[in-house]
Amino acid sequence: MKSVPKLIRRFVGLLLLSFILLILVNILIFAAIDSRQMANARPWKEAEEIAAALTETEKGFCLSDEGAEILRLSGAWAILIDNDTKTVVWHSDNLPKSVPTGYTLSDIAGLTRGYIDGYPTFTSGTGSGLVVLGFPKTSFWKHMWPSWDYQLIAHVPQIALVVVIVNVAVILLIYVSASTKLLRSVKPITNGIRSLPSGEPVYIRETGLLSEVAFHINSTSEVLQTQKRQLQKRETARASWIAGISHDIRTPLSMVMGYADQLQTAPGLTKEERHKAGIILKQSERIGKLVSDLNLASRLEYNMQPVGLREENAVALVRQAAADFANADPDGKYPVRWETGEGLSVCRVNADGDLLKRAVANLLQNSAVHNEDGCTIYVSVEKNEGNCVIRIEDDGTGASDEQIEKLNNAPHSMVCDEAAAEPRHGLGLLIVRQIADSHHGTAAAGRSRYGGFAFAITLPMAE
Amino acid sequence: MEMSGLKNRRILIVDDEQALLDLVVSVFQNDGYQNIATAKSVGEAVRLAKEFRPELAVLDVMLPDGNGFSLMERLRKDGDYPVLFLTARGEEEDKFRGFGLGADDYVVKPFLPRELLYRVAAILRRTYREEKTVVPLKNSVIDFSRAEVIRDGEHIPLTAKEHALLSALWRGAGRIVTIDALCEAAWGDNPFGYENSLMAHICRIREKIEANPSSPVSLVTVKGLGYKLLVEDK
Repeated sequence: MKSVPKLIRRFVGLLLLSFILLILVNILIFAAIDSRQMANARPWKEAEEIAAALTETEKGFCLSDEGAEILRLSGAWAILIDNDTKTVVWHSDNLPKSVPTGYTLSDIAGLTRGYIDGYPTFTSGTGSGLVVLGFPKTSFWKHMWPSWDYQLIAHVPQIALVVVIVNVAVILLIYVSASTKLLRSVKPITNGIRSLPSGEPVYIRETGLLSEVAFHINSTSEVLQTQKRQLQKRETARASWIAGISHDIRTPLSMVMGYADQLQTAPGLTKEERHKAGIILKQSERIGKLVSDLNLASRLEYNMQPVGLREENAVALVRQAAADFANADPDGKYPVRWETGEGLSVCRVNADGDLLKRAVANLLQNSAVHNEDGCTIYVSVEKNEGNCVIRIEDDGTGASDEQIEKLNNAPHSMVCDEAAAEPRHGLGLLIVRQIADSHHGTAAAGRSRYGGFAFAITLPMAE
Repeated sequence: MEMSGLKNRRILIVDDEQALLDLVVSVFQNDGYQNIATAKSVGEAVRLAKEFRPELAVLDVMLPDGNGFSLMERLRKDGDYPVLFLTARGEEEDKFRGFGLGADDYVVKPFLPRELLYRVAAILRRTYREEKTVVPLKNSVIDFSRAEVIRDGEHIPLTAKEHALLSALWRGAGRIVTIDALCEAAWGDNPFGYENSLMAHICRIREKIEANPSSPVSLVTVKGLGYKLLVEDK
């Protein structure tokens, strides 16, 4: 949306520049024409030349050849009015008959400003009289009152400047108001285009100048919405399918586990048979956990898992998850060391308590799964630059740099088609990452300070 | 004996799948429970409950003629006894619905039989508390009903906070009860900043229940996480 005022500004700038250039060009053209219009002083000059070309001889006045040539070229006639008698003492051969031969002072004043019988007349004084040139009737127009207010002429530059400025301002005003109107009709269009990528439905009124553009944006939005609905439908169907499978498998699995548990302690069976029953139980538990992980991962992936964020104490949640894990490990094969600083008993985060505990439980379980011979697990919570960092580390076998890099950067096969050929790893860490994401946090694998694997969940602390 | 008293309680199990009913019944029977009745539908369960008068019900959620949630409400009209859901529906919303309606516990299939037994026993203990008020420890006995500890024939009274802490520890006997859970039990919903008070109370409890409080055997510390009450018959 910022681009539109920018566009308008650029156009106004361009317009101003055009004005300045236009004015310069006008001045140049004016100057050029004006220089040619100097020719308008020609009749006066010719009158002067004729006056100079007249010489008084004994026989009377005589016009030189150059003077005669001037008259011929301009088609003008000429007379010389005597100073004393006010009568014509010489005239050219082509003098029309209607031109009087005697003049009063007022006649002379009149012909100086204007015409004799419609012929525009121009004068020039000589020693003995006044030379009057009469040009053809349609050759010149004469201003009868050639006088100006002195102040006006004195302030011509300022007046011209003011006129130019006022004109530019008026034109700009017209342009800006027209642009604003355009902007008003462009605004919903740009807003609509901006909203399209957000996936929200867009509707723009299809009226005015840009109704066609509005129509196409509305159609695009409709297509996007349809695609979104179809995608959601497909994702929901996929998640529901997984939920259905995981639901249906639970009851038969319960029976497998139940009877395997009974066989494990049945007195009539041999030790080996009881051991096998124990294996069935353990593997069934694994299937059960896998099914539940798969269901949770798909629900988190397709936003079907409600995430109820509320202010929780991360220290208490992590401690509870650690205690639950320790309680489920009566042999103490995986001792849990609480490494949180003694002073830290509260670290508030906005979290879904159950999900966060689930994430920590998955990490603890991950350490156990990858260290069959047992390991010590170090759990800590710390505050770091407005974040709450939950670390689960162990002193077990750990992971190679390549594996850590893959864990941190490669998408899990469940959420990415391209990775389907990759060797699969469990869903536990994927779920941790999904839970961190749904809490606006991050999750990262790494090397432990204690020699094994480490995983950190970083969540923003509550305000 | 108190545990055997618990095992005489009448338990109603409702599930539409016969094979699962058989399993659950065998799990309970193997553990010594004697009064067990089963039903496969809401209608059958309601009829049976009238004469059997269960003291605890284990219900499935999805039943052929209704669901476990409404069944619980109907059963509760005739008698207020604890209900545990045992169901394949593991979604949070189902759990919350169950707990919201007043269920005492919610176990998602597949389940470990021992876990089910522990949970049922815990509910029975909580509900029919009067039967289990005396808890034997290695060097002493806690009598919750009289709020006292009996050690070497001497009756030592418990303060309200000590009673609350020991009750919380007893409910999770044999398991780690976290520092936060203990603080919550003693100081309520916003139990922050009481860690030092908790340590002081634990010390005083040890002085009452342990023969040698500096090396405790019944109330042990799990560093950083919490405390564990070790009971003689658990």
